[in-house]
Amino acid sequence: MQTKTIKLIASVFVLIALVGCSSSAQVQITAGFPAVISQPKNSSATLVFSDEFRQFVAKPNKDTTIDMGSAQVALLTNAFKGLFSTVEIVSAADQASLKQGLVITPSVQEVQLSTPSDTYLNVYEVWIKYSLDIKTAEGEQIDTWFMPAYGKTPDSFMLSRTSAIDEATVIALRDAGAKLLLDFYRIPSVNNWLRTQPVKESGDE
Amino acid sequence: MNRFFPLVAVCFLSACSAVTTIDEYRVNNSAMELNSNESVVILGRRDAGHYDTDREFIGCVADKMQGADISIMPEQQFVDAIYPWFEPRTAPKGLARLKRLMQDTTIKAEIDRQHIRYLVWLDGSTESHGQSGSMSCGAAPGIAGCFGFAQWDKSSTYEAIIWDLRNLSEKGRLQVDSQGTSYLIGIVAPIPLLSPVKDDACKSLGDQLLQFFSNPDSTG
Repeated sequence: MQTKTIKLIASVFVLIALVGCSSSAQVQITAGFPAVISQPKNSSATLVFSDEFRQFVAKPNKDTTIDMGSAQVALLTNAFKGLFSTVEIVSAADQASLKQGLVITPSVQEVQLSTPSDTYLNVYEVWIKYSLDIKTAEGEQIDTWFMPAYGKTPDSFMLSRTSAIDEATVIALRDAGAKLLLDFYRIPSVNNWLRTQPVKESGDE
Repeated sequence: MNRFFPLVAVCFLSACSAVTTIDEYRVNNSAMELNSNESVVILGRRDAGHYDTDREFIGCVADKMQGADISIMPEQQFVDAIYPWFEPRTAPKGLARLKRLMQDTTIKAEIDRQHIRYLVWLDGSTESHGQSGSMSCGAAPGIAGCFGFAQWDKSSTYEAIIWDLRNLSEKGRLQVDSQGTSYLIGIVAPIPLLSPVKDDACKSLGDQLLQFFSNPDSTG
């Protein structure tokens, strides 16, 4: 009986050790993002977050998944509210109710991850490549804009694989917000579209 | 025989000390004005590809200044409050960019609302190099131990640049270089004799930064 107990305890220890040594990681991004400090243009936009985008789980390699759907929805909603005075969020383009402004459909093209075992650097890095499909409310194609974002941990010392990937992903998402605020109105086609829009009085919808 | 032990201990400990050099540039010699409701933010540069100014060092310098009754706003709190304008991609690298940023009334209003008067940018890293020697450890029933000797050099180089957010001007620069050699001696048990290079750099930089906010004539 005693031998059986010892064997059982030893098996549990071996199992814990093996699980502890495994290099797979399932990461769920739960971090919140601060409100953006920006004066939005007096214009409107409909953001189309498809179900696929809302529930997006990146699989940068066979051992890692990053559940970043809700985090990227929160981040982009926040960022676009700093760009447009009126923002409508829908699940499909045909649900848009705004009769003017832009209809923007974001999608994730690719998520890449590099770990210390890949690069021999003491950091975890995450790249997210977004694509923004930009149309007018009338359905005219304005542009398809590729937006890369990058995040890395300061170092990987004392960080578990899961928390390091989480941290690098959050930094990459914050970088996406920064890129959007900095460059969205610099896209030539968006800038041209904006110039053609009638100037609205503040508060005029 | 017992007389030699303190001597040997002193030799060991002095061998582990760090040599720290500080270069300072001030626009003028007067103390920087800081009202009681105003804060200083210490920020690390994060835009270099191969290193990040580590948060531990920034926290250490902030603690040194906070101890002297200077209100320090935590780095992450500031970066969040002014998001996304101090992210690695967007943070101003020079005064020209800062001036352009502060022309945005929303950003300026938020900085004024938070009563942030000065930004201290810290840029640098601590690196180990020149490792030599070897150490072997072993264990057998009833006995275990390490034998050998290893040593390595460490150097910390950090630069601090102080920006005044009211006048949008640079108030001064500090550069700290700290170097030292650490040893690991294996005589049954491994005995680390670590040179406090980063701590020395932090203490020297913190003390010197404090002098920017106090009258140099009064501190001697």
